Amino acid sequence: MIRLENLRYRYRPEIPPALDSVSISITRGSIHGLLGPNGAGKTTLISLLAGLLTHREGRITIDGESLDGWRAAHPNAIAQVPQDYAFYPMLTVTENLAFFAGVQGIPRREQQHRCDRALAFSRLETVAGRRAGELSGGLRRRLNLAIGLTGEPEILLLDEPTAGVDSSSRLFLLEAVRQYAAAGRTVLYTSHYMEEVEAVCSDVSIIDHGKVLLAGPVTEVKRGRTLEQVFMELTGHSLRD
Amino acid sequence: MPAIFILIMSLALADSLSGQKEASLAYAVLDFDGTPLSRAFDSQLGNLDLLNKSAPPSSEADARLQVRDQKTAFVIVIPQGFANQIGSNQPPELRLLIDPAVPGMVRNGFRQHVEAAATRVWLTQILEHLRQRMMLPVAEPAGAPEISIESVSNNDTAAAAPPSSVQQSVPAWLIFSMFFVVIPISAVFIGERQCGTLQRLRAQRVPFSLVLAGKFVPFVLVNQMQAVVMVAIGRWLVPLCGGEALTLPGNAAALMALSMLSLAVSVAAVGWALLIASFARSSEQATILGGVGNILMGAIGGIMVPRYVMPAAMQTWTHISPMDWALEGFHEVMLRQGGFTDILPAICSLVCFGLAALAAAAFLNHRATNT
Repeated sequence: MIRLENLRYRYRPEIPPALDSVSISITRGSIHGLLGPNGAGKTTLISLLAGLLTHREGRITIDGESLDGWRAAHPNAIAQVPQDYAFYPMLTVTENLAFFAGVQGIPRREQQHRCDRALAFSRLETVAGRRAGELSGGLRRRLNLAIGLTGEPEILLLDEPTAGVDSSSRLFLLEAVRQYAAAGRTVLYTSHYMEEVEAVCSDVSIIDHGKVLLAGPVTEVKRGRTLEQVFMELTGHSLRD
Repeated sequence: MPAIFILIMSLALADSLSGQKEASLAYAVLDFDGTPLSRAFDSQLGNLDLLNKSAPPSSEADARLQVRDQKTAFVIVIPQGFANQIGSNQPPELRLLIDPAVPGMVRNGFRQHVEAAATRVWLTQILEHLRQRMMLPVAEPAGAPEISIESVSNNDTAAAAPPSSVQQSVPAWLIFSMFFVVIPISAVFIGERQCGTLQRLRAQRVPFSLVLAGKFVPFVLVNQMQAVVMVAIGRWLVPLCGGEALTLPGNAAALMALSMLSLAVSVAAVGWALLIASFARSSEQATILGGVGNILMGAIGGIMVPRYVMPAAMQTWTHISPMDWALEGFHEVMLRQGGFTDILPAICSLVCFGLAALAAAAFLNHRATNT
C-alpha cells in the first residue's frame, strides 16, 4: 500500500500550499487515477512521489516504510513518465533507451534485455534505428513510456501519457497501461480525459486547490453518474489557468 | 550590463583617449655614464606624459628583474661613455629593456619619446659645443642617438626581439573565444531542462554531479579541440593569407606548459558556462548573462584593452578577471619564455575558479530541487 498522510507542500511561504493535508491510499497492483483541473496539485503530488520534490510536512509510506527508505532499498522501483517528451531528439530510439537504462545503474548485460523488452512492449521495434526527433507524436509518446519502463518499475507514475496523440495511439497506450498493471505493478495515472480514467483506473482521487475532494473506487465515486459529471460538480465550472 | 561595459571601457581607455597625465606605465633609468649629459637626458625623460618613473635599478641584473616581475615596463640603459661620444663619429647608443607583453603601439610610442628626449639633449649639447668653439671648425655630429630595443624574458641567455602584434593579440582572442563555450552549453543544458530530460534523470536518482560531469568532460574536450584549431589557424593559415604567423615555443616543456594552461582555461570556461546554464531560466537569458559576462570579463581582464594602457587604478581591477589570469599565463610562456612553474599560479587560479563555479551550479540545482 502506498499511503500519503496529511501531506502538505508549499513552494514559497507567501503563496498558498500546492498540497494541503492530502491523504490518499493507493493499493499495490491497482491503477489509481488522479484527476483535477490545472493547478490542482497533481504534478506536485507526482513530483513528491518521484523524488523530484522533498516533502517537509506529512508522511509518504510504501508498504509501511518511509518513501526515502523504500527508494533506497529499491533504487529503480519508481519511474515517472513526464508529460513532456523527455528524451534526446538527436539520439535514436535504441540509443535513448540504452542511455536511460545505463544511467539507472542497470548492469550492462541486463541493459540490452530491458531495452528489448521496453521496445517490444511499446511496439517500437520498427523505428528502433530512427532518431527520436523524427518520430510522430504517437511514437514519441510510446518512446516516452518505453524509457520509463527500462527500469521495470514496481510503481509507474504517468503524467498525462496520452496528451496530443491520435485515437489509435491512445487506445494502444491505455491497453499498455492495463497490461503493465496486470503484472502486479502499481500505476498512478493523471489525465484530463475522464473517459480514459473511467476505462483504465480501478480507483480515483479528485483533487483541487491542493485538497482531496473525493477518493475511492471508480464505481463508488460515480454512483450512477459519469465521472465527468462528478468532477464538474466538485470542481465547479469556472475556467482555470 | 551594456552600461557596465561602457563604463569599464571608458575607464580602461581614459588615458589613451584623453592624453591627460594619469601615469600607469612605469619606467626606470640605469645610468652607467653618470655625467651631466646623461643626467640631463634623465631629467628630460621626466617630462614625458603617461609615465611613472621608478627608482633606478642598482645593476643591469636588477633592471632585468624589475622588468621580468612587471614592476616596470621599460628600463633605459645609458652606457658608460655616453657623453664622451659627442663629437665622435660613432652615434651614441642607448638600450631599452622592455616587458614583451607591452603592446607594440605603446612600445613604439615610448621609443619615440625616448628618441625625442635624447635628441633634445644631444642638440643642446652640440649647440653648446658650437658656442664654445665658435671660431673653430665644427665637428660633424654623428647623428641622433640610436636606441636598440631588447625584450626581457625569463630565459635571459640571449637578447630577444620584441614580440609581434600577432604574438600579443592571439592569446587574448583565444581566451576570449574559449569562454564563449557558454553559448552552446547553456543551449544544451536549458534545452534538456525545458524538455524534461534533466527532470527525468533526477527522478531516476541520477546524481546531479554525474549530470554535470557528463556535460563538463565532453565540453572541455571540445573546447580544447577548438583551441588547437584556433592556434593552428594563427600558425599556418594566417601566413597563407599574408599575415604574420603565430610563433609557438620551440621546446617540449614550454608546449606542455601551454597545453596545461589551455586545459585550465577550458576548466574555468566550462565551469563558468555550467554555472550560467544552471542559473538562467531560458536560452535568451543565458545568452545575455553569459555573453555580456564574457565581454565584461574581457574588458576588465585586458583582452580588449591591454592592461598597460589602462590607468593605474584600473590595472589593479584586472586581477579579478579569470581572463586576466589566463592572459598572464599565456604571455608568460609565449612572450617571456616562462615554464610550468611560472604559470602554476595562473593554472591553479583558473582550475579553482572552474571548480567553484561547478560547486555553485550544483548548489543552484540542489536549491531548485527543493523549492
